[in-house]
Amino acid sequence: MDVSVTVNGTTYERDVEPRRLLIHFLRDDLDLTGSHVGCDTGNCGACSVILDGVLVKSCMLLAVQASGASIETVEGLAEGEELTPLQQAFNEHHALQCGYCTPGMLMSATALLRDNPSPSEDEIAKALQGNICRCTGYWNIVDAVKSVAK
Amino acid sequence: MTRASETTLAPAPVEVQKGWGGQSVRRKEDKRLLQGEGVFVDDIKRHGMGYLHFVRSPYAHAHITRVDVSAAEAIDGVYGTLTGEEVAALTDPFFQISSVPGANIKDYSLAVGKVRYVGEPVVAVVAETRELARDASELVEVDYEPLEAVVDARQAQDADTPVLHEDAGGNLMWSGLYSWGDLDAAFAEADRVIEIPELHFHRFNSTPLECDGALVEYNRGVSQWTIHTNNQFPGFAAIMMGPAMKVGLDKLRFVTQDIGGGFGNKITSHPQLVVCCLLARKLNRPVQWTEWRTDFHLSMSHGNERWFRDTEVAVSDDGTLLGFRTKALDDAGAWLRYEPLGGVIWAQVTPGMYRWRHIELEFTQVATNKAPVSPNRGYSRMQHLWFTERVIDIVARELGLDPVEVRKKNYVRAEDMPYETPNGCVYDSGDYAAMLDLALGLIDYPSIAGKRAEAQERGKLLGVGIGSTLDSGTNNFGQSRLINPELQFSGNNEVATVKLDIFGEIVVTLGTTPQGQGHETTAAQVVADILSCSPDDVHVRAGHDSYWNSHAGFSGTYASQFAVTGLGAVKGATEMLAAEIKRLAGAVFGGVPPEALELADGGVRIKENPDAFLPFMACGAIINANNAGLPEDLDVTLNCRYVYRPPFEVPDVETKTGNLTLTYAAQVHVAVVEVDPETGAYEIVDYAAVDDCGKRINPQIVEGQVMGATAQAIGAAVHETYEYDEDGNLLTPNFYDYHVPHALDMPPLATGAIESPSPFTPLGTKGMGEGGGAGIHAICAAIQDATGQVVTDSHNPYQRVWRLLQEAKA
Amino acid sequence: MLLREVEYAKPRSVAEALELLAANDGARALAGGQTLINVMKARAASPDMLVDLNGLDDLKGIELAGDGTLTIGAMATYTELMASAEAKARPILGEVCATIADVQVRNRGTIGGNVCSNDPTNHLPPLMVAVGARMTIAGASGEREVSAEEFFLGVYLTAVGPGELLTRISIPAGKQDGFAAVTLGADGTCIANAAATVNGTVRVALGCVDAVPVLVTADSADGVADAVRAANLMPPSDVHASSEYRTHLAGVLATRAAQEASAR
Repeated sequence: MDVSVTVNGTTYERDVEPRRLLIHFLRDDLDLTGSHVGCDTGNCGACSVILDGVLVKSCMLLAVQASGASIETVEGLAEGEELTPLQQAFNEHHALQCGYCTPGMLMSATALLRDNPSPSEDEIAKALQGNICRCTGYWNIVDAVKSVAK
Repeated sequence: MTRASETTLAPAPVEVQKGWGGQSVRRKEDKRLLQGEGVFVDDIKRHGMGYLHFVRSPYAHAHITRVDVSAAEAIDGVYGTLTGEEVAALTDPFFQISSVPGANIKDYSLAVGKVRYVGEPVVAVVAETRELARDASELVEVDYEPLEAVVDARQAQDADTPVLHEDAGGNLMWSGLYSWGDLDAAFAEADRVIEIPELHFHRFNSTPLECDGALVEYNRGVSQWTIHTNNQFPGFAAIMMGPAMKVGLDKLRFVTQDIGGGFGNKITSHPQLVVCCLLARKLNRPVQWTEWRTDFHLSMSHGNERWFRDTEVAVSDDGTLLGFRTKALDDAGAWLRYEPLGGVIWAQVTPGMYRWRHIELEFTQVATNKAPVSPNRGYSRMQHLWFTERVIDIVARELGLDPVEVRKKNYVRAEDMPYETPNGCVYDSGDYAAMLDLALGLIDYPSIAGKRAEAQERGKLLGVGIGSTLDSGTNNFGQSRLINPELQFSGNNEVATVKLDIFGEIVVTLGTTPQGQGHETTAAQVVADILSCSPDDVHVRAGHDSYWNSHAGFSGTYASQFAVTGLGAVKGATEMLAAEIKRLAGAVFGGVPPEALELADGGVRIKENPDAFLPFMACGAIINANNAGLPEDLDVTLNCRYVYRPPFEVPDVETKTGNLTLTYAAQVHVAVVEVDPETGAYEIVDYAAVDDCGKRINPQIVEGQVMGATAQAIGAAVHETYEYDEDGNLLTPNFYDYHVPHALDMPPLATGAIESPSPFTPLGTKGMGEGGGAGIHAICAAIQDATGQVVTDSHNPYQRVWRLLQEAKA
Repeated sequence: MLLREVEYAKPRSVAEALELLAANDGARALAGGQTLINVMKARAASPDMLVDLNGLDDLKGIELAGDGTLTIGAMATYTELMASAEAKARPILGEVCATIADVQVRNRGTIGGNVCSNDPTNHLPPLMVAVGARMTIAGASGEREVSAEEFFLGVYLTAVGPGELLTRISIPAGKQDGFAAVTLGADGTCIANAAATVNGTVRVALGCVDAVPVLVTADSADGVADAVRAANLMPPSDVHASSEYRTHLAGVLATRAAQEASAR
């Protein structure tokens, strides 16, 4: 089936099987390998992207369902070499170790901060509940997000 | 979820930190990872590559009576298959570490003739797309003749229990008796002998978020495989794969870049890598394999499940610990992929943190129809240290003593350091009692009595528990001889190269395979201090490539050692480079001796005449591109390779004594829990983690390891378990049923640190990162305190706590 | 992660969706996909065709009638319900939805999907039974309405038959509701749960203990534990809880949910 999606401002048109999940479409068809796969049950959130302004896990969506949509992924966060304040905060607060969950974590935090620019610690934890990190124990991630809260 | 800031106590005397070492320099790795530009193994693509999918066994134990791949191979887009029969023809069984009977098993990279656990790879299928490979795998026909499964290690040696490996003559894989001191005297002297019938340490692992994977290319012209992989110990994989594939190690080129977590679980992917290699050669195309989460849970590197049975502890009435006897029974699962090394690794920490001098442990490891066990963060020491901590709390309870006092009375004392354990290990430094005090302070221990009463008013049971633990690092591989005296391994090594390139770039290549530990950053800090430059000026290559010269026999990232072996190699290579720069500059300056020169401001200068300055750029240019006229005897390349080799002796296989690891980082954790007595559900309401890993090169990275290990311990203690039913089906094969902690599950955390530099290491550092077991010990102790019942299992889901409370009522 | 081959259809109306479902035996409605896609990844189910209900506005929306009856479109997401001013008329609905899984799942997952999947560990089936919800099912021959008690038929099985769709859920006015659960981690899968409503008598629906929610009634919260005992529950054992433990939790949670409801 024909799929046309705009990812980080660039429009892509591809012919894909209906069964192909959005995450595999992004990674294998569009070579956007920033979003990751960490599970096969929709639990880990490493594949989180923002679809028409809504945070979703791209492993629980068919690529064909995203046709016509505008998608934001981790690759689109920074303006060129300039990291966003959130990305910089992750660096300052040591909010990543292996970095595998980080793209999904950043997308969840980005969606939170758009919705609620001044989240409390509890609200941050609640907003990151769908993203598993096995390295950090989350404390530094919450600290990083809190540090850029208004 | 809140976190208190870190408290640092430095017991005197500690040298004042100067320079970059000791600073929380921002990580060099982060930028690419934050932009989605890391290169993880599944990100790598090659023209014409095929995707590999494994057909896995649905049975825990069965004979394979027929395999037919013809229907799968007939599909358009399927490139080919590999069966166990082909593997048996093309390869030898993997080398076994064990002595007999475990030595007799025949382990191939695909099941041959028989399957021994649910999820065991039976056939591999390679196709044009991931989806097609899986579709085709459903068309592979395998007939099985099911056999009864062995799922309880305690019954594995019973007469009527089926045998997994006929070649071994039974399910016993390895056994050994360890006995040190004078047990009879200790037990004769004891006021009390406390008996603990059975303790059980459960099966779980660290579930790195990225599963295993590889992209393997075969270069037909030179008969060499390039294995892009996230295996975290290429040195070990090479030793396993070369002989099995009947090729020299130079034919196996291991390349890694970013690895999405390892925690030991990515050491034993060599069987899958062999399958990829055979298929890349057979199909003459690159082969890509990415393990799915369910595959990982079913088959990869479970932590050692262990029972401690018939334990007897000799104690004085005042709580002095004299000795213990126990029988450890280890469930290895279906294959010995790194085992039975777990049968000796625990001995690095034989007496835990205590001054027990008389210890006897009979170790038995058996095979069961479950996934093979392999290293998992805290490997084998965590099980043993959980045991010693359980013993302390049970002893305290039996004697009516305060667990804090029993610990302090028996801890190895700061003034006894370095301390030789009954089995000849040397604890290098530390002050365990000071750590405990710091940890208790972080949770405001004096307030606990009041909080307990306040919780009671709310209908909750409050409990506090301590977990003290050692994170022994830098293995002496000679300990493998205590498992099998025939083995020719000993010592350890790691390599680094540091060079000045033409334009003066400082380029560092590591032998390690980091998975988030920040090696690029800490290596740059060490180099910057020696070359008097900024870490920003130091280019540390991301990843590992065994093809080039930065690979030593034990290269990899595992077993808490980078800060000793990896940075020891970096230090050695950089010092060689610094000396060469001075020799070169001395010659350029017309015969100035090295001692009259110093490195500063990105170059080398004459101490007494700083205007005589040669920038690194000039040094690199002269040696690499403008070297005519240099003195003939000037032996300088500005490309320095150093192999760090820790000072070890071969252990004594008769007495089973010797120094098994070089450093002993320590952790003391304290957990406060509140139990809902009606449901058994509990919450960790306060938590403190204190770490001492000697000198910290980058305190923020160290604290990150402490926090991550703590989170893993909390997960393991409360929810995570690999549990099997009686037919050998794994009941927790994914993150849906295997619940790892999420953000909302985290308690408030206060961290603290003490720095007791190691006297035995180049930088005063100790390996660290595996101390998280302390969290399991602390939570068990807290539950025991809250419920008043002896906790005998390392895994305490709400149901088990509820049952404890029912037993208390009965 | 790799589904079997499947056809995909995106109807533009409910009528078209019903036609597609009726015309293809192997077709299944795709709502939020937060369960179905995962089941398909595991290849535990492999429909021939997915009929995507996303984008059908007739299945969206949350309305509050003058008599306090709340009507929730089957394709309303958890997030939409949590944010809905109308849904605040029955606060328990938003409160429970806020504890389901995580933001991403709540953004895509739908109220209709939750009840139609009828996984015994789901939150909404017992809640719907407790509050006395009525479900509207559309098919070729028009619409029919069934009570929540009649709606849930078995594990993964509801009154929605082949060629039919759940279109909306009506919930009568009420405020005295409660919900209690023991979960696998915060906001995790329920090990046991209970939803309660007080309206003269106490109605408590127990989840996770049988194929469908088990309804018990009592005169007051104090009588709930006895009512649960009288129900002679025989819940399944699994890796998270034995039958005995679940039975015990059912009693405790039923009482807690009833107490919460009574206290409002």
